[in-house]
Amino acid sequence: MMRTPLVLLLCSLALPALAQGNADAAKGKISMCIGCHGIAMYKTAFPEVYSVPMIAGQSPDYIVKALQAYRSGDRSHPTMRGIARGLSDQDMADVAAYYGGTGKAAQ
Amino acid sequence: MKSLLALALAACICAPAFAAGDATSGKQKSENCKACHGADGNAPTGPDFPRLAGQHYDYLLKALKDYRSVARKNPIMGAQVGGLSTQDMADLAAYFASQKGALHVIR
Repeated sequence: MMRTPLVLLLCSLALPALAQGNADAAKGKISMCIGCHGIAMYKTAFPEVYSVPMIAGQSPDYIVKALQAYRSGDRSHPTMRGIARGLSDQDMADVAAYYGGTGKAAQ
Repeated sequence: MKSLLALALAACICAPAFAAGDATSGKQKSENCKACHGADGNAPTGPDFPRLAGQHYDYLLKALKDYRSVARKNPIMGAQVGGLSTQDMADLAAYFASQKGALHVIR
């Protein structure tokens, strides 16, 4: 019986430290996103030319994972790495909540 | 006239050296993709797997090439691209780009 609190504690430690995203809070945080991802058919020019991906409607957890990969260096795009390094876990969750899922948060 | 010929020649040399992707071939090659991204790339089976349907062709192609070059690091995708030729990647990108999906652009 006494072990129950210990088990609960261990369970909570094992949970992923995902922040809960708030789409409304993201509205003050997306100024760096819309310059590229908010323009249909926009292409990035550095370090090579290709279409900037559409992120509205994307899986929210994937958006967080992508931002974390830019921050850690597992993804290489220089602009995105610079931007991701300036984002907290909470910022990433908020941006993911804004763009992710149905992508209707902005409408 | 001579400069026009030189220009035409230069344009040929600069053209990409492989055929553009073929969506029909890509569909036939997409069997392995379905397990995570869903049958048409619009129904991911895990919360942090991305939607691919309707994403830009050149972005999808770049993602696959980056997994191959390890410019983008992901254990699952790194293993998946091992058996793909550049033509396979182009075909897969063409297939998923041609599918209707939830991805779109918002500001």
